[in-house]
Amino acid sequence: MGIPRRDELLKKAEQLVMALRADDEDGVQGLLADLTRERESELFREVGRLTRELHDALANFRLDPRFSELAAQDVPAAKDRLQYVMRLTDEAANKTMDAVEEAVSVAADIGQHAGNLYKRWERIAAREQQPGEFKTFFVELGAFLPKLMEQADALNRLMTQALMAQDFQDLTGQVIKRVIQLVQDVEDNLVATIRMFGQMEDYRRSMDGEQEKNAAAEGPIMNADTRDDVVTSQDDVDDLLSSLGF
Amino acid sequence: MKILIVDDFSTMRRIVKNLLRDLGYNNTVEADDGSTALPILQAGGIDFLITDWNMPGMQGIDLVREVRADPALKHIPILMVTAEAKRDQIIEAAQAGVNGYIVKPFTAGTLKEKIEKIFERLGK
Repeated sequence: MGIPRRDELLKKAEQLVMALRADDEDGVQGLLADLTRERESELFREVGRLTRELHDALANFRLDPRFSELAAQDVPAAKDRLQYVMRLTDEAANKTMDAVEEAVSVAADIGQHAGNLYKRWERIAAREQQPGEFKTFFVELGAFLPKLMEQADALNRLMTQALMAQDFQDLTGQVIKRVIQLVQDVEDNLVATIRMFGQMEDYRRSMDGEQEKNAAAEGPIMNADTRDDVVTSQDDVDDLLSSLGF
Repeated sequence: MKILIVDDFSTMRRIVKNLLRDLGYNNTVEADDGSTALPILQAGGIDFLITDWNMPGMQGIDLVREVRADPALKHIPILMVTAEAKRDQIIEAAQAGVNGYIVKPFTAGTLKEKIEKIFERLGK
């Protein structure tokens, strides 16, 4: 340990005292200038070092052209892509429901028609029919059967429609994959920026830190299995509510 | 029995509407968030409210509070059907005065069971 360049400084200080005692103004000025120059040159060295670091940091910052590209192109494109996913899933859901609603009404019609005919068939089987009833039954059955064939075709068509409406999955899957890649790029760039500004401690702390806990709407929970503040099933909801006296 | 379905996604409203029709409730009206639901409720004639939680504009939880604070509406049974699954939220909804809480995704059976349970309790 010890003061750096102690002897040299001590010598200068002694010379300064001597010059002061001797009223040697020029000598005093010269020695004071020598002493402060030591200080200044150290300061200049430090400023120089910081300037170089700042310059390098700014140069690095400008170096990554992905950053501008992300903001100017990829992020707006991702918004469009996600809108596309919304549109496709919405259309698919509605197409499926159109088909299902129509199929439900076809099935109801078949059921009702067949039910009516069956009641009359039972009366005929039990030989309880009115005179002439067999003939009308026979005619109506004749009309019902081709209609039933038609309706079976319709159901087939509607089921195929519902099936084909699921084709969005492939398209949205591809789009979502690209958006995931974009989010990854943004994350990498953000982390690089955080590192450049020397804030890695904050970053690590945030990574390890608990997620914010409040009752604000969060939407579907992706990782319910690893969290203890969320329910994982309707049974959990029912248990919780009944524990509250519901 | 007139039921108001509040959800910002039209597909979800359509699903709920279809399930209700299966259960024999044919008279439904729809709104896409709390602020459009409230005038419908205030106009009168709604006997049952099914609402989502997370919606743009007025959230479902705030709609529940508005309904419970209004002497003309506070008797209306409310079933919350939502993806929100945090324990704190379920407790908050219970405290705000919902009569039932269903987490999405849900089944037709769950919806039927909860609606019947609510009516059973109100009938007592």
